[in-house]
Amino acid sequence: MADIRDTDLRESGEKREGSSLAAAIRADTLRVPLLTLASIALALLAWQVMSTFIFNPFLIPPPLEVVRTAIPMLLSGEIIADVSISMVRVLVGFTMGSLAAIVVGVLLGRVRLLHDLVDPIIELLRYLSPTAMIPIAVIWFGIGELSKYFLIFWGTFFIVLINTVAGVWRAPIARQRAAECLGASQIQIFVLVVIPSAAPYIVTGMRVAMASSFMSIIPAEILAADSGIGYLLQKSSMLLQTNRIFVALLTICVLGFMVDRLFRLLVDRTLTRFMSFVTVT
Amino acid sequence: MLQLANVRKVFKSATESYVALDGVNLDVRIGELFCLLGPSGCGKSTVLNILAGFEQASSGSASANGTPIRGAGRDRVLFFQDAGSALLPWLTVEENVRFGLRVRKVARADCDAIIDKYLKMVDLDRHRGKFPAQLSGGMRQRLQIARALAVEPAVLLMDEPFAALDALTRRRMHAVLLDIWQSTGKTIVFVTHDIAEAITLADRIGIMSVGPRSRISKVIDLNLPRPRDLTNPSVARIFMEIEALLAPDVARSEERTLAH
Repeated sequence: MADIRDTDLRESGEKREGSSLAAAIRADTLRVPLLTLASIALALLAWQVMSTFIFNPFLIPPPLEVVRTAIPMLLSGEIIADVSISMVRVLVGFTMGSLAAIVVGVLLGRVRLLHDLVDPIIELLRYLSPTAMIPIAVIWFGIGELSKYFLIFWGTFFIVLINTVAGVWRAPIARQRAAECLGASQIQIFVLVVIPSAAPYIVTGMRVAMASSFMSIIPAEILAADSGIGYLLQKSSMLLQTNRIFVALLTICVLGFMVDRLFRLLVDRTLTRFMSFVTVT
Repeated sequence: MLQLANVRKVFKSATESYVALDGVNLDVRIGELFCLLGPSGCGKSTVLNILAGFEQASSGSASANGTPIRGAGRDRVLFFQDAGSALLPWLTVEENVRFGLRVRKVARADCDAIIDKYLKMVDLDRHRGKFPAQLSGGMRQRLQIARALAVEPAVLLMDEPFAALDALTRRRMHAVLLDIWQSTGKTIVFVTHDIAEAITLADRIGIMSVGPRSRISKVIDLNLPRPRDLTNPSVARIFMEIEALLAPDVARSEERTLAH
């Protein structure tokens, strides 16, 4: 055992020195944000040119016009109010939907009989998008908050559920058997081995579901609400206020982007251990 | 110690059934390093899984220390070729070893000393804070060994544990394993398709015929001093003897692979 130290060991990272490396890193870290800025600036410029010289500025209001409309809407708190209403709806529905889906998914992933019984129903129901459920949700729950929670729940549930089941199923047999050999009980194997092994799948499902929640809250609010970003869109459309429509659309873009980043940041902070091995077999 | 008597194993699918093992007899002695050698598809892993308790023999008997094997036993630890999936990748080296102690409810106060002892034994104590993904293939196998030894089983069942390693690392792992075996006196059943590996390690080699209806066709008692040098004439003679024994089966194993 004396000489097993050398080639067998992979010391953490090669330590290359010198300022050229540091400069390269700096250049690399700056490159992406710079290109992102350039991309947005070019898009804004193209938009401004098109709406001024090619299309009717009423149909496509130029960006400067949109900004001019946005400032008072921001200052008066109108946008903030609508955003926070929509956000709360998404968060409540998403949280409930994810929790329910994880609990049910873990059960279905483990109990084969239950899965085979329930799976056909899931396979049919998952094609009912939240939008398709709006009419019945309004009858069941009215146009208040409850119907929005239900619709987001509906959209989240199936996505997270299917991912959770897949994750539980794909927990490596070798890992479970190894744990059993070490003396783990079936419950310990399930809680300490199977569920952590499924975590990357569950988180991926939640991220997809978060994006889909943002898409389904809008039609829900357009058709059946008296507040929220979707309602702002609907109201502005009735009044032919294209400026305000564009402000609402931009708000949705920025909001979705920010929430996704926030979600990733949260996962990175709390679940890195469980996520980092996904690519390693 | 470990016994298989007239074991038969049939795998059934909806359309056909396949007799993987038929008439397998095996008697592994306490403290022995026994190698099961055979070409791929001969049912070596099935034998090991029956010994581990993860599969049941269709007929015949399997016993450990005279008691029939039913389910995974705490005295027998199975090793996997793919250490990457057998280890818990979200736990560090140290935590992986602690896992076995935790589920066996070893007193917290004793854990640290046990972990120290076995991590030192496989020379991983300087890497205790790393995650499995940060280790090389050989280090992961050593971690698997440390984790198994920490729960102090009587038997190690190893399923081609070093097959995926490069040749140099594999040779080092052989030295590590022999060292540990000699110092701890464990009973080891080691499955391999590599004749040189079997000769390097084993007290006795059980040669398996290719399936269907595989069985252990011959047991060779090596009775050679260690470390064994394959260029030594008496060792080389055994190598060629085994190779000749396996040759017809290797050809059949290849044909089988083609037919499937």
